[in-house]
Amino acid sequence: MSKVPNMPKSWRVETKPHKFCPGCGHGLVLKALGEAIDELNIQDRIVFGCDIGCSLLSWDFFNVDTVQTHHGRTTPVMTGIKRARPDRICIAYMGDGGGYAIGSQHLVNAASRNEKITLILANNCNYGMTGGQMAPTTLPGMKTETSPYGRDIEDTGYPTQGPEMVAAITQHKAYVARGTVANVRQLKNYIKKALQNQMDNNGFSFVEALAGCPTNWSTNAKDTWAFIEEEMPKYFKVGEIKTPAQKEENTNG
Amino acid sequence: MSTSSAYKMKQFDTKKAVFTIFTGLCKGCGLCIQKCPVNTLVWSDDLGVYGTPAVQPKDTDTCTGCGMCSVVCPDCAIVIERKK
Repeated sequence: MSKVPNMPKSWRVETKPHKFCPGCGHGLVLKALGEAIDELNIQDRIVFGCDIGCSLLSWDFFNVDTVQTHHGRTTPVMTGIKRARPDRICIAYMGDGGGYAIGSQHLVNAASRNEKITLILANNCNYGMTGGQMAPTTLPGMKTETSPYGRDIEDTGYPTQGPEMVAAITQHKAYVARGTVANVRQLKNYIKKALQNQMDNNGFSFVEALAGCPTNWSTNAKDTWAFIEEEMPKYFKVGEIKTPAQKEENTNG
Repeated sequence: MSTSSAYKMKQFDTKKAVFTIFTGLCKGCGLCIQKCPVNTLVWSDDLGVYGTPAVQPKDTDTCTGCGMCSVVCPDCAIVIERKK
């Protein structure tokens, strides 16, 4: 008879239940990350960096060295730590606001320099912490606080497709994938491969995770799953976009 | 702060598995209810950590012990132990 919750070993148990909203996708992404860290047995080598936004609520989530940085600046901070201490495994964790809006310059430059860090990004189609405003990833026609009639692509353009962009600008040996919290085992495998890619000293690894935000979407559990499983993958295709095994013919056209 | 074993919990002995819900962790998001392939999970009279209803299996026969609810729980509030 089990008396202990089945949490990943790398989770900091005394801070649970964690600070995220009920049904938040961050919990599932960090659960997949924790299981991946456990399976690779690298908890003592991890440096975990979290961004501003809802993702900063993970500052006491893991029993690993954690640093919380300025908005969007997690990528360069992790790059610096990796350059100073190449034996560490650096994970930059952020949301779509930190990665694609204010921090897109750092994401683009770190990716094109092929920095040997792992970047995990939770994409929930809005700015969750500030109350659900329109983000670069808000789907066309989706209603948010600042697009009450639905996002108009004539006015505001199309949503950012992050992994496709990163796959286009990285060299070979990079790892780029998009997972979803609707398939936690697949997401865990993607994160595991991304961490393995960094441990093999290959290059930039990037995993975007489609995550839910029931609080700001104002959805119940059924509609949350429907949006994550049916609406989001129509625009954000789930799968591995670039793997180190693919040779240079792809990058050279 | 409490340690892991101090979370409030409740156990349900179903035919194929022992269903443990840690009400001290459950936030009542309901993701598990939607993901259960045999629709055996219902809202419970016990309250979770935020004062919202927790979940429980509705009877002792339907649960197959697949563990899908524990996989999709963002708070690791459910533990499924299959019987042989």
